Amino acid sequence: MIEIREVEKTYRRLDGGQVRALEPVSLTIREREFVSLVGPSGCGKTTLLMMIAGLIPPSSGEIRLRGRRLDGPSREIAVVFQSPVLLPWRRVLANLTLPIDVLGLQPRSHYVARARELLRLVGLEGFEQAYPRELSGGMQQRAAIARALVAESSCLVMDEPFGALDAMTREEMNAELLRIWEVSGRAIVFVTHNIPEAVLLSDRVVVMSHRPGRILEVLDIDLPRPRDFSLLGDRRFGALANAIRSLLSTRSTVIS
Amino acid sequence: MKAGSVPHPLRPPAVRVPVAWPRVFASPTAAGAGAAVVALGLWQVAVLVTQVPAYYIPSPLDIAAALWRGRHLYPLHFAYTMYATLAGFAIALLTGVALGTLVSEVAFLERTVLPLLVAGQSMPRIALAPIVIVWFGFGIASKIVLATFSAFFPIFLSVVHGLGTANQEQVALLRSFRASRWQIFRYVKLPNAVPFLMAGANVSVIFSMLATIVAEFLGANRGMGYLIVQESNQLDTAGVFATISLLSCAGLVLHYGIQGLRRRLLGWATLSELGGSRT
Repeated sequence: MIEIREVEKTYRRLDGGQVRALEPVSLTIREREFVSLVGPSGCGKTTLLMMIAGLIPPSSGEIRLRGRRLDGPSREIAVVFQSPVLLPWRRVLANLTLPIDVLGLQPRSHYVARARELLRLVGLEGFEQAYPRELSGGMQQRAAIARALVAESSCLVMDEPFGALDAMTREEMNAELLRIWEVSGRAIVFVTHNIPEAVLLSDRVVVMSHRPGRILEVLDIDLPRPRDFSLLGDRRFGALANAIRSLLSTRSTVIS
Repeated sequence: MKAGSVPHPLRPPAVRVPVAWPRVFASPTAAGAGAAVVALGLWQVAVLVTQVPAYYIPSPLDIAAALWRGRHLYPLHFAYTMYATLAGFAIALLTGVALGTLVSEVAFLERTVLPLLVAGQSMPRIALAPIVIVWFGFGIASKIVLATFSAFFPIFLSVVHGLGTANQEQVALLRSFRASRWQIFRYVKLPNAVPFLMAGANVSVIFSMLATIVAEFLGANRGMGYLIVQESNQLDTAGVFATISLLSCAGLVLHYGIQGLRRRLLGWATLSELGGSRT
């Protein structure tokens, strides 16, 4: 569904020098697939994600969505940022209808009904008329996820969406995301530096190296679905998590 | 009284005196009005005790008498001053928002026009009053021009600042919805700028009134500023105070009008987020 071909990113520094954030990377994301990008901070995983979202142009290489070259944000790809980024002057429901207004989706009533349905799906029923600041951090991120689902795009890219949440809320959100992913049928590209989170959620985990970022290995997570936190004690789960951990640590010892 | 609750012999029975008056002053309006009444009362007493002549410092009752005497005089002059104040403010609001938007959205103008206007902002604009009267005459035009000129900068700068500090994550979110530049402006930048604009307008409306009065001091045949000059020439100090008290009331009404609008528009933001005070 999404083909990433030899995509690389070099940033120009203010002093004219260049910083290579990402070495040429190739990766294909299939329909309805859950792929996580894990790696140390500064490995270019967020850069890669933002290029898929069309928010940052690649320095070279190309990204194709169902065969068509991406040259900017696409209606088919929705973004969930690290922070919820709800507009504070809009009530919760109005935040969910924002993509409808901006994208000009028609018929509007269909999508508004969808937005209400999604609020129910993420457990925010009854908060339609609340302002974002009246919601807890976890609730705000739920609203942000619901907003990303409103336009019925076929792919969701998520940049450490639960990074700012406490451990308990994070587990809750993981379970919820799994449930939403299973019913929504979307592909998800998920950036995290939390290894158990990546293993629990994903079909495949892409392990990336420290700057300049490149793909060290892509692991298939062949654990049965539907999954829940009881997997954390599973032997295969532990083995996969350890494999990722050792990939990351050998790499960093080589560097240092 | 419950059975068996015999009063302690040494302790007087705890009678709860209903403290009525402080509760009235829990409302900020009532508290403010109460403080004003007390201050006026002290003023009256002080003038009576010290026997200061009324042309030096009039008592509140002298001022009230002057207000009553001038009841047929004040409305015309008051209306004249308010007309210039509000017209100047309205023009400043329109031009300030329009120019502020242009300057912050068009990079070329930001580089060229903004420094000029910032330089203009540091100029003491009231000092231009004599020349404005030379240019625009003794009529209302010179008052409106000076009021506009004074009121423009707070609005203009607050718009530039408000639009310039739009949250980059919110902009990225809008871009992810393929938003046009206009949509980013409308859905993110403009709402972000409203709190700044309200703060600017609040300062600006008072500037507008000040500029109008100064212009009336210097050359006019009507208006509250003109009246103050006439009254002080006749040593009618109570009249001057009466005129000023009417202007203070107008200032309060304008200030609270904008505050009310601000509360309506910015219900989404807590006051602490805006860094605003309650006044």
